[in-house]
Amino acid sequence: MGRYIVMRFLQGIPLLLFISVILFTLMMNVGDPVATMGGRRAVRQTEYQRLRRQLGLDKPVYMQYLYWLVGNDWTQVDRDGDGIAETAGTRRGVLRGDFGVSLLNGKPVLEVIGERLPNTLMLMVASEVIIILGALLVGIYSALRQYSVIDNLLTGIMFIGYSMPIFFVALFSMYIFAVLFKRWGLPYLPTVGMFDPQVGKTTAQILWHMVLPVLSISLISFAAYSRYIRSTMLEVMGQDYIRTARAKGLPRREVVFIHALKNASLPIVTVVGLDLPLLLGGAVVTERIFAWPGMGRLFLDHVDRADMPVVMGILLLIAVAVILFQIITDIVYAWLDPRIRYDK
Amino acid sequence: MKRNLSILLSLVVLASMLLTACGGAQATEAPAANATEGPASNATEAPVATEPPAEKKVATFIFTQEFDSLSPLYTSMWFAWTTWQMYLHWAWEFDENNKPFPRLVTEIPSAENGGISEDGRMITMKLRDDIKWSDNTPVTADDFIFTWEMAVSPNNTVDSSYPYDAIESVTAPDPQTVVITFTDPFAPWLATLWHGILPAHVLRPVYESAGTLDGADWLTNPTVGCGPFVFADWESGSYARFVRNENYWGEPAKLDEIFIRFVPDDASQTAALQAGDADMGTFISYADVPALRDAGLNIMVEANGYSEWMFLMVNEEKGHPALLDVNVRKAIAMSIDREAIVRDLLLGLPKVPASFWDALSNYNDPPLVNYPYNPEEAKTLLDTAGWVDTNGDGVREKDGVDLEISHATTIKEIRQDVQAVMQQQLADVGIKLNVFPVDDTLYFASYAENGPAARGEYDIQEWSDGPLFPDPDLYYWLCDQIPSDENPEGENWFYICDEELDSLIKLQSTQVNAAERQKTISKINQLFYDKVYIIGLWQDPDIYAVSSRLLNVKFSGVTMFFNIADWDLAE
Repeated sequence: MGRYIVMRFLQGIPLLLFISVILFTLMMNVGDPVATMGGRRAVRQTEYQRLRRQLGLDKPVYMQYLYWLVGNDWTQVDRDGDGIAETAGTRRGVLRGDFGVSLLNGKPVLEVIGERLPNTLMLMVASEVIIILGALLVGIYSALRQYSVIDNLLTGIMFIGYSMPIFFVALFSMYIFAVLFKRWGLPYLPTVGMFDPQVGKTTAQILWHMVLPVLSISLISFAAYSRYIRSTMLEVMGQDYIRTARAKGLPRREVVFIHALKNASLPIVTVVGLDLPLLLGGAVVTERIFAWPGMGRLFLDHVDRADMPVVMGILLLIAVAVILFQIITDIVYAWLDPRIRYDK
Repeated sequence: MKRNLSILLSLVVLASMLLTACGGAQATEAPAANATEGPASNATEAPVATEPPAEKKVATFIFTQEFDSLSPLYTSMWFAWTTWQMYLHWAWEFDENNKPFPRLVTEIPSAENGGISEDGRMITMKLRDDIKWSDNTPVTADDFIFTWEMAVSPNNTVDSSYPYDAIESVTAPDPQTVVITFTDPFAPWLATLWHGILPAHVLRPVYESAGTLDGADWLTNPTVGCGPFVFADWESGSYARFVRNENYWGEPAKLDEIFIRFVPDDASQTAALQAGDADMGTFISYADVPALRDAGLNIMVEANGYSEWMFLMVNEEKGHPALLDVNVRKAIAMSIDREAIVRDLLLGLPKVPASFWDALSNYNDPPLVNYPYNPEEAKTLLDTAGWVDTNGDGVREKDGVDLEISHATTIKEIRQDVQAVMQQQLADVGIKLNVFPVDDTLYFASYAENGPAARGEYDIQEWSDGPLFPDPDLYYWLCDQIPSDENPEGENWFYICDEELDSLIKLQSTQVNAAERQKTISKINQLFYDKVYIIGLWQDPDIYAVSSRLLNVKFSGVTMFFNIADWDLAE
């Protein structure tokens, strides 16, 4: 098992390099970061050329990639535009932990991402926990009482939730619980942000401001998960070994939660394993609507202005997380199903 | 089954109650401002009857975009530019009529007060002697010199070195006098110079040690300023906070704190304003105005130099031949009921602009009066010009050419609506308008990318435009700005080359004396009107929603916060 894990990690390195080449090439075609720097007026040509040179965007794409990957502190750059490279480069490159600085605000990329990541994790982990726990409860309940009134009711609600776009759910809930509740003189939820400036950024305030965004994210994803759990549970509950377990006189709870759920979990773990790394990317729409300062908004804002270093940092972070979580998923497989062995 | 249903219903009710209970706490809790501040109580002292501390006056504003930098040199974003005045005064600022008034200087330099040299190359500024930074260091001429040096230093990745790169030298005969010498007479100095200055005593050591300002902490954390507020903190994507500058040299700010929340979504901004979660919203869309008014918010409309214009292609090679005749152009202007468009489609909020300098009244002097909506007069003009419907198909023609005109703009909903109205109204006078709504990115693509606007592919083009507000310049109308394969960067997408206009534009760009320049711009103003090169549809103003509890609010079209020190919250 240990050898397998090491091998998987080693395989991940060329994969990441390949991904970075693809992403970098794509980013080069997203837009021109300098073009947006003039506000409503076009950037003057002299300024345009200066900024491209100072930001290193005048170099060929392969050189820009090389500098991004290994840095440029081994060479000299032309800062003053006289055609002579006279200033030593200062970038150390991604391989040495330097993801560069944002083209928009000059802040180090890791600092920019580090400011947002905790906010996204807060929102997304809370949502994911609610989604998984809720979906397990509903999925198992529906599977055990297939075609009952409540199963049909839950199925209907799930489909409604699944078919609604998240922006609608988010804005609708904001309008009901914040605007209308206030108008009706009822206690109301906050609309946007992480805290009330009169109160300050306290834990209670953050939790309070998380209610609507978490509710919106959960409602949408809840449906898919619970339907998935329901179908896998139904499949497992029809297996011979479940019938045997029942025939042995095992308590129903043990049959369901020990024998059935554990075996039904394998495909669910796959889905969760695929979803978890994407949590780092944040919920783009939800974060935008609730003005939640997370990774989704960061990505959107910086893609919009073609801020290559920040966007590459975010994408690479997600790529690493995907590879990492796939390895973790494989390990969980082996734990859940003793028949799975990775060592030869 | 019933039992299960009961459990489910109970859970729903319980959840609702829980939400309500939590909300109750929020609604009824007293603000905990300063809860952790204040001296520790002394158990041995007798309790003293004191009044509870007054609630902090915190005004919350919503910005729909987050600024990228807080340094005057490192950003061109409007939201950053407008925020500077909270913590960094300009040398002179612009009031609600977009007129300049002195702030850091004793008076605005002019030829009359000796502030402008005869050759127009030298500007002399006299600084107030009481101005100081928030750390009590005096603001002196050295700060201005340092700002200029940093703007033109090749070591700094500043967003724009304009207008500082037009300066030959900045000197300081004494700490309160700044002498600026331009390479050539530089007319836009009043509108473009000294929009925020840098604290030399904070940043010069950084520059000298690092060789650049690029990584300076002050750029995103400008804790030292010279405005009525000082920067407190900025959490990316969330908020920025400014607190009252206790060392302010002017009249102290009435608010304790300004909390700027970044809310990129328009609908969320509207909901937040309706719910009372913010005191001011920016860039309000027309569609949201009725709902905000219903919620008790004041809607304030501020002309900002931009207006929606129809640009007529008066060019033999590019445009329809009919557009070469000024009477046809005048007829088009008189065929469109622009007042009705503004009234019916834009809630009557903006005005119909008569002048390219509508927001700069001194350049629209005497003020122009729009061509009236008069379809009968338009028909007469077209008849006189020889455009007559001889075959009865509803479209006028002349020499075998139909009066069929193409009109392009972007797919923005209001523009498409207006296109439909204009199509109908022009059809009523015998002009067939073929409309082309084009995606923004495609429409405004560059000449090299075959952008239709840049290539001048339509007879009438439409977008929001204006002079280099608050400067009246319009260099992009010059003949040598017409794009071509040899000059793909040309900005004259109107493809109009008028010798008289060209010489006037060149003249005004050298007129440092404001009074002389005003006369020249007024001539251009009249020329635009007489020759009907452009037809104004509606002003494209900044629209703000302001809570009724926010007092003394005035906006300038140039910036939002020129009188921010006076803003207050009702008790």
